[in-house]
Amino acid sequence: MPKGLLDNIKHGDTVLEARGITKRFPGVVANDRIDFEMKAGEIHAILGENGAGKTTLMNILFGLYQPDEGQIFIGGQEVKLRSPLDAIDLGIGMVHQNRKLVSAHTVLENIILGHPRAGAILNIKETSREIEELCARYGFEIDLKAKVWQLSEGEKQVVEILKALYRGAKILILDEPTSALAPPETEKLLNSIQAMAQDDLAIVPFITHKLPIVLAISDRVTVLRRGRVTARLETKHATEQGLAKEMVGREVLFQIERVQVEPGEPILEVQNLSALSNKGFMALKGVSFTVREGEIFGIAGVSGNGQQELAEVLAGLRRAEGGKVLLDGVDITYAPTLERWQRGMGYIPSERVDVGSIGDFSLTENVAMNYYFDPKFVHYGILDYGGLRQLTEELIAEYDVMAPGPDTVAKNLSGGNLQKMILARVLSRKPRLVVANLPTQGLDVGAIEFVRTRLMEAKKEGAAILLISEDLDEVLSLSDWVAPIYEGEFMDIIPGEKADREYVGALMAGSRQVEGKA
Amino acid sequence: MRIGRYELKKQRRVTLSGWEAVSISLLAILFSLLLFSLIFLLAGVNPLEAYREIFSYAFLNPFGLPLTINRFIFLLLCTYAFIIPFRAGLWNIGMTGQLYVGALSTYAVLLAFGAKESRSIELNPMLVIPLMLLAAALGGAAIGAIAGFLKGRFNTNEIVVTMMLNFISFWVVSQMIKEGGIFMNPGGRGESFEMPPSVYAPLFGKIPFTILIALGLALLLTFLFAKTKLGYQIRAYGHSPAAARYAGISPVKIPFLVFILGGALAGWAGYHYFAAVPGVYKISRNYGYFGDLAFYGIICGLISQGNSLAAIPVALLFGGLSIGGRFLQGKVHMSFGVDYALLGVLMITLVAFQFFYRYKIVLIKTEEEQADVGVSH
Repeated sequence: MPKGLLDNIKHGDTVLEARGITKRFPGVVANDRIDFEMKAGEIHAILGENGAGKTTLMNILFGLYQPDEGQIFIGGQEVKLRSPLDAIDLGIGMVHQNRKLVSAHTVLENIILGHPRAGAILNIKETSREIEELCARYGFEIDLKAKVWQLSEGEKQVVEILKALYRGAKILILDEPTSALAPPETEKLLNSIQAMAQDDLAIVPFITHKLPIVLAISDRVTVLRRGRVTARLETKHATEQGLAKEMVGREVLFQIERVQVEPGEPILEVQNLSALSNKGFMALKGVSFTVREGEIFGIAGVSGNGQQELAEVLAGLRRAEGGKVLLDGVDITYAPTLERWQRGMGYIPSERVDVGSIGDFSLTENVAMNYYFDPKFVHYGILDYGGLRQLTEELIAEYDVMAPGPDTVAKNLSGGNLQKMILARVLSRKPRLVVANLPTQGLDVGAIEFVRTRLMEAKKEGAAILLISEDLDEVLSLSDWVAPIYEGEFMDIIPGEKADREYVGALMAGSRQVEGKA
Repeated sequence: MRIGRYELKKQRRVTLSGWEAVSISLLAILFSLLLFSLIFLLAGVNPLEAYREIFSYAFLNPFGLPLTINRFIFLLLCTYAFIIPFRAGLWNIGMTGQLYVGALSTYAVLLAFGAKESRSIELNPMLVIPLMLLAAALGGAAIGAIAGFLKGRFNTNEIVVTMMLNFISFWVVSQMIKEGGIFMNPGGRGESFEMPPSVYAPLFGKIPFTILIALGLALLLTFLFAKTKLGYQIRAYGHSPAAARYAGISPVKIPFLVFILGGALAGWAGYHYFAAVPGVYKISRNYGYFGDLAFYGIICGLISQGNSLAAIPVALLFGGLSIGGRFLQGKVHMSFGVDYALLGVLMITLVAFQFFYRYKIVLIKTEEEQADVGVSH
């Protein structure tokens, strides 16, 4: 493998060019004659919904897949990337969305792991000095001696970036770099990305839905839809609406109108609730709140601050360590899960593949997960599969699920369609309370809009909704009440119309400095 | 693998039709018979002749066929004892222990009616036979329940627990029927006391009524899993315990229940062999042989992929081969247990052929040798 193709590049030189990349999988053309070009010092965002072919393209550029057709040029020379190792040797670095780090090792150890220079003998001192230089240059703040399991998602991402830079990456591919970050962390990362671009690194962030970020930092944008390039333009000529339209193929609503409904009776009352995490420490430390009929109560927080535990305690999937949960005035703190569903709770879990659905079950059988106990569908212990199948057919039509029919198995559905199916199943029971845990995470623009609209409709019909989200904009735009959560505690509870983005963002990152501003 | 301009490649199957599954199993059976021919050849026996003897004795001979069918009933009950927990994603390796305890419970009923003292005692079969069936089911269920309870409550590995219970049950039976045990045959001999003829199981020819139970269960289990709420709950738990829990299905109740049901069916296998098959009517000295045979319920369950109707031909084949193999061994004076050796080879082949449930081998024409990767100008 030739090295050093990118050693003498200048700002504005073309570092990477892909021509006519085509990749077919059985039944789909994932990439259809894609042309793509990167210049040194450029941030070139690639936009596209799930299934648009971004991941395939990224895997081709990183040597994980070989294209069926097309050529790749690095520094003007045609190359064939047999494996990620080839790509790394040529100066391509990649930061995956699911981190590939060794959690029991320190940051430093992870960075040098697999580095050619880290042979039998480690020169720790020199290496850490070099890495610290990199950090200082690009504004990364990280303790090299910390163990990876102690880090937040954002910090882990920094480790991955450092690892790629330390291997000498000149082209950095970032997969959804901001999806798991709190606003202040996002800001820092974007600053670092810009600093790297000034050093003539070419940076390719892949993004599904955070369009404002694309507009803020990128120089150029390429939009993919169904495996094809639908638009390629300089960011200064782009608008949010225009990009979304290219991605989805139709106009998209960004702001779901927050409907004001006269709040009614309290449906969910939570008093001083606490719970342990899987690792055995107190993850939820005494939260109290009330959600009324026709209200959306939004909990905003970075992942791992107790939201997951809260959702699971409410669903009866995790034991409460203290406190009380009342549903319609009835104490359900220790009630079994089934009883909660029968009392009118609906839960949309964040793990839609592992918990919210059964991959090998048909859609009918998946819908049955919320109906197998319903007297309308059970007679003398026998399930009315015919009735369930008909219900599933209706839900597929009503919720616009792209599926061949009720007998399709769930694992054949895309993430967005699976989520629609789960939403359909839960909301069709007309629950009094909906606990929606990260309902739009990982979905594309079109599906996000759909999920938000449906939640808003459920609210209009008088359901109480607890919305847990890592997307601050989502919480702010939908909620009647906003509670930033940090380390298992609510930092504040603010009426939706008064919630200020900066203030809530700072609170969910744990900062109390801005207190009193709202 | 490459052969000239062609390449053999394995491809993941997206779907597997019932017909494909059947043909894969048939191929596996043929392959294993072919494989076992080598052993016959080594032993100086003509394989074709040997197989003719095995199959004609097992399935055509008036003495062999009833033996085959009795084995078949036994194996089918053991298979169902495996399948019910299997559909919940759990492995019952304890049919052996469950059937031992089932058999002991059966004889406990007879003991209670005073049958140990006198074989000629006149008992009312309409009362005692149902009681024996009930006791066998309860005994098997009780021993199965231990594993199910530990699994549900403490997430203990059910394979280890059922396996260990097999050993315990084996020695409990031994203790009970040997010298000084309460089920001891008055004549000693290391067997249990014999059953009074007044409560022998009703026969159709030489086949006890338990065949109706076994075949009835085939339909009942099919119905259970395809139509009922309980079957749905078991299947959901089997596919994804986390998703089942989310759906409100108790992760404690399901393991408990499936092991109770499975254990009860294994208990009936114990009743069938030691209290219903003509000519046995006691817990015989070689009861361990049938304990070992029970393990083939696992294989039948795996081959039939948990389908209770598909288990019928599989159990019949295994029953037949074990009878035919034993017969051949005596007839040609082979020096080892043909029955278990044959079943063993069949089992390994069938398990290995499961590879083809997930992959298929395809022959594709390759393009010319690809240019080596690197820079080309």
